[in-house]
Amino acid sequence: MTDSIYVPEMARLVDVRQMTTAEKLFTIELPGGRNLGHDPGQFVMVSMLGVGEAPISITSSPSRSNGVFELCVRKVGDVTNAMHALQPGAKLGIRGPFGHGFPIEKMRGKDVLFAPGGLGLAPLRSLINQVLDERGTFGRVIILYGARRPEELLFKDELDQWVARDDVECRVTVDRGDEMWDGHVGVITTLFPKVTINPRNTVAVTCGPPIMYRFVLMELLGKGIPETQIYLSLERRMKCGVGKCGHCQINSMYCCQEGPVFTYAQIKGVEEAL
Amino acid sequence: MKFTTRDQLKAWLDGLAAEMDLVAPRGVDGHVFYRPVASGDEVLFDYERPELSAKAFVFPDTEVFLRVEQRGKDVTVEEVRTERKQVIFGVRPCDAHGLAVIDALFLNQEPADAQYQHHRERTVLVGLACPRMWEGCFCTSMGGAPDDATHLDVLLREVEGGYAVEAVSEKGKALVKGLKTKQKAGDPPAPQTNADAVPVVDTATWRTLFNDKLWQRHGERCLSCRICTYVCPTCRCFDVVDRVVDTQPGLTRIERIRVWDACTSTNYRRAAGGHNSRPTKPGRIRNRFYCKFCYYPEDFGPLGCVGCGRCVVSCPVDIDITEIMRDVAAKGGQE
Repeated sequence: MTDSIYVPEMARLVDVRQMTTAEKLFTIELPGGRNLGHDPGQFVMVSMLGVGEAPISITSSPSRSNGVFELCVRKVGDVTNAMHALQPGAKLGIRGPFGHGFPIEKMRGKDVLFAPGGLGLAPLRSLINQVLDERGTFGRVIILYGARRPEELLFKDELDQWVARDDVECRVTVDRGDEMWDGHVGVITTLFPKVTINPRNTVAVTCGPPIMYRFVLMELLGKGIPETQIYLSLERRMKCGVGKCGHCQINSMYCCQEGPVFTYAQIKGVEEAL
Repeated sequence: MKFTTRDQLKAWLDGLAAEMDLVAPRGVDGHVFYRPVASGDEVLFDYERPELSAKAFVFPDTEVFLRVEQRGKDVTVEEVRTERKQVIFGVRPCDAHGLAVIDALFLNQEPADAQYQHHRERTVLVGLACPRMWEGCFCTSMGGAPDDATHLDVLLREVEGGYAVEAVSEKGKALVKGLKTKQKAGDPPAPQTNADAVPVVDTATWRTLFNDKLWQRHGERCLSCRICTYVCPTCRCFDVVDRVVDTQPGLTRIERIRVWDACTSTNYRRAAGGHNSRPTKPGRIRNRFYCKFCYYPEDFGPLGCVGCGRCVVSCPVDIDITEIMRDVAAKGGQE
């Protein structure tokens, strides 16, 4: 019998943390505490047996594995709703890791500008923390994070740490504030004029809702960052994760194989990509 | 040539049916389909093109591929496999060609699709050449032929009084050992082929026409009914769904099922949360043809069409793949 690429491994949910009203952070352990062995930016297929399977990006860094990995999941479809009902100790199926993540080796020695929007912080966090754990091998680390409302900000404790660090330039904005919010108000693009960069030596990494890409890309390109140095992580419907089912195909590229991380140069002018 | 008679074939098929799954063309209420058969007598020998391809017997339209049992916290996941061998008899060369197209992705691209590979390995293809091309057929334009043996294990050709037998692969040679044949002089007649070829344009030319108005024109009348995918020997997109089949105290049984899907379906691209990166019918129709003639050959080698002509005769609004190929060739030539 052939070992099937479609058989999920039954993993154990170690911890669940409510992040916002819509998002939870799941800490998951593979059998025997085996490391997932992922790269930042890769994803896993999560099985809620009896409900279905969905692709979820890995939010934890390989550098912080400790025999577990983390998924930050918004309650938005059947599988994710079922996940949100889970209690620690529950079993869930995992396949992967799949896809190509962020090419961290190409970023070493360079300044790295992260521009996550909303839940787009989830996949970028896997890279951000890896970069911070290997901080000496990168130039400047700039994080420009935008969310719609203060209560929708993710990983607030880590955001506070990043803001407090001398070797990280982290700015946070919300589209609309509230009476408690004393930070910046405005969409994510309003943060860009506040930073000056050396575009040739900068790698930009962005992830967010489809509408955000258009405007963030204009800012990044406007700053002169080469198209080959802008990385995006794309979201697609996926049924297999291994390039067979067809759903995530973007022209002749398979998001689950070549992606989910692409350079802007790869997808520029490719219809149906953004 | 090796010669056999229809009666000898039937006797051979009777023997095969006793040992393994036998699939063959069969009449069903005036229609012809590849169907499981129990004896040589059920097999149709004079038929045109079965209305559906043979794809479903190695890539079923609906197939339970995982069985899951949850007992308390214990979960077992088991792959569904059958040990039985399978012979598809009377398969037309275009349908065997269609499987070779699917092989290019499901077998040749790592990792192989284990479920498909399992069916492919247990299956022997015994082809029966078409004596001529049927309505809508254009296999000769797509690198095939009515008597193309390339993708078959055994090819039969109709000759005076019986059939010429050609064992093509090792699998085929082993299978026909049980078939009574004798040597006979002469060669099988060449099949009749259509004169007018359909032009196949290179992928670079296809890429220049992505935003052409022709996609609007062809796409706006599409009903999104997906019959084109259903009848297609090369379409291989699939969806995966779970079904809870049994719930008792402390025990839940679940099946994970693979079902065919179609890129012309409205929700094919819809991600959780509602974003649809291919929201219009012309965009989806365009993808269907770009997949076949541009993306698939660029990514995996073969064209995603074998010229069986089924979609041409099935489409309720006459979207004709050969008309699109001719349009693309004409527009591509003008540039």
